[in-house]
Amino acid sequence: MSRLTVGIDVGGTFTDFVAYDPEGKEVTVWKNLSTPANPTDGVLQGLKQLTDSIRNLRLGTTVATNAILERRGARVGYVTTKGFRDVPFIQRGNRKHHYDASWVKPKPLMKRRDCFELDERMLASGAVHKAVDPAEVEAMAEEIAARGGIEAIAVNLLFSYVTPDHEIAVRDILAKALPDVPISISYEVLPKWKEYERASTTIADAFVKPIVSRYLTDLGTRLKERGGVENVAIIKSNGGEMTTDAAAASPIHMTVSGPTGGVVAARHIAAQLDVGNLVTFDMGGTSTDCSTVVDGQESFTTNFEIEFGVPIQVPMIDIRTIGAGGGSIAWIDKGGMLRVGPQSAGANPGPACYGFGGTQPTVTDANVILGRISPENFLGGTMALDMAKARAAMQAIAEPLGLGVEETALAVLRIVTNNMTGALRSVLTERGQDPRDFALLAFGGAGPLHVADLMGEASIPTGVVPNHPGQFSAFGFIMTDARVDLERTVQMTSSRFDLDRANEVMGQLVSDALGNLKAQGYEQGLSVSRTLELRYLGQNYELEVPVEFETFDAETVQRAWATFHDLHKARFGFNIPREVIEVITFKVTAISVRETPHLPTLPKASGAPEPTAHRQVHYDDGALQAAVYDRASLGDGAVIEGPALVEEPASVTVLRPDQTLTVDSHGNLIIRNR
Amino acid sequence: MGTSKATDFVTMNIIESSMISACREMGITLMKTSYSTIFNEALDFTCAIASAEGEMWAVAEFCPAQIGGMPLIISSSLKEIPLETINPGDVIVHNDPYRGGLHTPEHTLFCPVFVDDQLVAFTVAIGHVAEVGGMVPGGFASEATEIFHEGIRVPPVKIKKRGEDVEEVWKLWLANVRTPRYNYGDMRALISGVEVGAERLAQTISKYGVDHFRKICADLMDYSEARMRAEIRDLPDGAYPFHDFMDNDGVTDQEIRINVECFIQDDEIVVDFEGSSPQVGGPINATLGVTWSAAYNAILHLTDPSIPKNSGCFRPIHVLAPAGTVVNVDFPAPEVGGNTETHPRIAGAVIGALAPASPERAFASEGGTHLNFVFGGQDKANDEYFACYDIEVVGWGATRHADGNDATDSINGNCRVTPVEVFETRYPWLTEEVSLIPDSGGAGATRGGLGTRRIWTCLDAEITCSQLTDRHVHQAWGLNGGGSGTSGMTLYMAAGSSEWQNMMQAFGKSSTSKWSNVVIKPGDRVEIVTPGGGGYGSPAERDPELVQEDLAEGYVTAERAKADYGLGAGGD
Repeated sequence: MSRLTVGIDVGGTFTDFVAYDPEGKEVTVWKNLSTPANPTDGVLQGLKQLTDSIRNLRLGTTVATNAILERRGARVGYVTTKGFRDVPFIQRGNRKHHYDASWVKPKPLMKRRDCFELDERMLASGAVHKAVDPAEVEAMAEEIAARGGIEAIAVNLLFSYVTPDHEIAVRDILAKALPDVPISISYEVLPKWKEYERASTTIADAFVKPIVSRYLTDLGTRLKERGGVENVAIIKSNGGEMTTDAAAASPIHMTVSGPTGGVVAARHIAAQLDVGNLVTFDMGGTSTDCSTVVDGQESFTTNFEIEFGVPIQVPMIDIRTIGAGGGSIAWIDKGGMLRVGPQSAGANPGPACYGFGGTQPTVTDANVILGRISPENFLGGTMALDMAKARAAMQAIAEPLGLGVEETALAVLRIVTNNMTGALRSVLTERGQDPRDFALLAFGGAGPLHVADLMGEASIPTGVVPNHPGQFSAFGFIMTDARVDLERTVQMTSSRFDLDRANEVMGQLVSDALGNLKAQGYEQGLSVSRTLELRYLGQNYELEVPVEFETFDAETVQRAWATFHDLHKARFGFNIPREVIEVITFKVTAISVRETPHLPTLPKASGAPEPTAHRQVHYDDGALQAAVYDRASLGDGAVIEGPALVEEPASVTVLRPDQTLTVDSHGNLIIRNR
Repeated sequence: MGTSKATDFVTMNIIESSMISACREMGITLMKTSYSTIFNEALDFTCAIASAEGEMWAVAEFCPAQIGGMPLIISSSLKEIPLETINPGDVIVHNDPYRGGLHTPEHTLFCPVFVDDQLVAFTVAIGHVAEVGGMVPGGFASEATEIFHEGIRVPPVKIKKRGEDVEEVWKLWLANVRTPRYNYGDMRALISGVEVGAERLAQTISKYGVDHFRKICADLMDYSEARMRAEIRDLPDGAYPFHDFMDNDGVTDQEIRINVECFIQDDEIVVDFEGSSPQVGGPINATLGVTWSAAYNAILHLTDPSIPKNSGCFRPIHVLAPAGTVVNVDFPAPEVGGNTETHPRIAGAVIGALAPASPERAFASEGGTHLNFVFGGQDKANDEYFACYDIEVVGWGATRHADGNDATDSINGNCRVTPVEVFETRYPWLTEEVSLIPDSGGAGATRGGLGTRRIWTCLDAEITCSQLTDRHVHQAWGLNGGGSGTSGMTLYMAAGSSEWQNMMQAFGKSSTSKWSNVVIKPGDRVEIVTPGGGGYGSPAERDPELVQEDLAEGYVTAERAKADYGLGAGGD
């Protein structure tokens, strides 16, 4: 009988696996090297060690992301309203940096010669200014066919979010004439205003469709050959799962697939800990991701740019990435200032202590020098580190600073901590959150090393290191639900609010979202939530207001306005009670709840925990003897006073002298300042 | 001593990035709560932190035009509002070009930051408010002949005292503008921005202590100064002259000379504008703050972009701008276009001058205008007056290593164009076309960036339009043998006509690029063509494959590919 749920996160270096067995309530984690040439090889290799059959296999993949970043997608034909083919080239006209004359504006994901214009036009009101001429579309299809080589089509007509009729008509004609070419239309990809952002998102969807489709077909075939896998799902950027068919049809939803697992797991940890608010800190070798769980819910955005000038604005979990991690290089700039990053030593040559030829000091080298990482017990003792090389690299920057090697390593960590604090602050304060109301959930290989320092700097009173910090995203995949987020721009105002239109739009979104889930076969545990994006008439950014009623009427709509005034005051410190409110977006989320895993608990700790060793660790206040514990030996209720280290194969948790760590019944390490 | 010096560098790094993140937070508040599209879509604002003496300590990347003039704004304001009369919870507003400001639409708000009962710093937000009263809706009175035509002047006054709104100031200000509801929202956003920043900065200062914090900021400015001196030292000593022209001032059809000579000696630069035209009757005069900003902006583009931006950067740069000239205007001449149009011409002239000294970083002229198309009218749906400041983007100049960027905002802004779908939802225009203009970039080994074309039809209302732009005559110059970009144009076609005319032809205006209060009626059309950027190096040296690609992509036509680059016909 098939029973396992398996989460797989395919990363750049490692493919992580987490298997959950609902019968034994057991969680097993492992990893193997990724196989970038064909990521499915690594997946199948890792699955070899499972003998039980798999009920649900959930995969986080970077296949769509990498295709965009490496510009390896399809040749896209872009179809748009007459007069507007250059919108993706003009973009918004702003530069990435001031003062950098060497900056080159990015080109879109298709050629200008592959853009096609149609003489049609909708107005902002939804009225047809110029109707679509089917003969013109048919002629265009012939031209596309005659040109040859166009592998996918993106259609983006002005004001299609108001009235999609033209886009749908164009799609139908093109699909009939060009049956083998996949077509993405902007109304289905992103029915929101702002033609450039919608164009970019729709083009990206078309750009990755063929490559994702081939990848998923191959994956399906090979899993079938292997046998023993009942359901295969792909993790979406919104942290939900979708079927492989749904993924092939809208691959744009896979652009931030892997990292969402950590945030979904964070939501479950928040429930386990009985706290509403968590901020996540996922620090790896080259980058760090931050996100939040507020009142038990992940935070979402539609404001994502995969790189400058390539917005992808489908709803997704709001994860901010900064290019700093354990591999970030410390260096001295021309004016003598110590800086850390953005250059990274990556995995090769890697930090100096790896002994693979790296000579520049990195954050990991600093952690080795300071006694926080044991050269003998890195990655569970599978990889010996070279302290002498780490010190030699650090010495090279210590000299111009006039500092000792340890002092320099501490300075490197102070700067890293400050940079990370900036990243945390950006996810919190941009949403008006107070860090003191949050707990800091640290994972990734390097997160637990830095959590203690960050808590102080970022004014976050509690730190948490969950189980499996090295495979935390894959761990999250065993807890995901099926989820569809839909939204649409329908502009109206509080002074002239069209109740019928509002009910029609919201009703349509609800039925589309539920229909989408049901079509994928997700029928159980269905729930729907509705929100409006509102602002004062004249503003340009919205606040999201939950709609906790099913139908708009004269009374319920007043509640939405009142909530908005309150939220504006809470968020920005003021409101304008007499002001007209503008409605911009109607949003619906539909969820089909999958099984909730019953995570194992630890046996009660028997007496005080026993350190496996003591070693010298350098802190800002000096070198101290720190007790070293093996995480696997800690029971429920164990208490450890800092200075101390808790080691596990994937990471090390550092405890400062003024902190206490307790182990909860699930094995989470909870850090508090004394 | 080595140790204490080194420790400072670490703390300096940390304090600098903390200040920048406070500035960013101010900016996000501004963007999210403001009303004018020039604010929240175009992001025409700056957020910074200044010392109590007005020296700039840190600034976030939003709009660069404004940073050079900030010290002048604060020091001028403090002459009228002495430091000892400023209390916690006060917020000061100011826009007067003749009290250190840049131009009337640019409103500067600043909020004192008190720690341990000492006024340590100001958080500063400078934002472009779209409507300021005056001759034309939208702020750009391009036929103004005195400052009083250009809208309400706000000398430094407290708009909040000890946390309470000063109702008299609000009333006076809102009574003098056409769109009080929008102005109210923009002013609220500016106030909220500086208050958020002040709260954040106070936390940082408290953490380090006032004296330590001040010391680190002083060190930070010294550090930027040292970095800037090192950059200048790398440039060969010498005298470097250059000049460029503005087309006219909107009142008199006469070109206006921007003359500059840069003198580099060891680690300092003198930027001397002697020989520039006397101040003019129309509104393109630059205040001293604008000229400082423009000279600094140019030099920041030619030096290492990673130098922290603060007043220390500017210490080795000495700007000489004779009073009574177009680069240092005397009261009461008009000057609203100085900040948008004359600034890029000044900055471009400095870059042109220094190009022989810095050939790797220098670039050919960019389009050098924001197009500044402003309009107003009655919004029937909401029964209120609307005013809009629309900017357009231009071709940038080529560098030695790359073609100029197409369709990018001019050097003194970093504004975004407003999406057509947002624009048409708000204003009664139908956009027929938004496109790149083939052949508009100057030819060269690297090619100038392309300008754009926008065509609007007026839908169902009368719209009062004005424009203050430039480079209809004097084109964006190329460097080292590169060709010029093409000119800009603004054309009008009356309903029922099929003839495009410029504004001199159609309305008897004095200038094609600077005209006020033209009433556009339903069915009338307006076309705005923006200038292309200059090329770099001889077109003969351009890689033929790049010419082929340009032709295939339609960036150049077959005709120009042949004429400029000698590409044979049918050479695909």
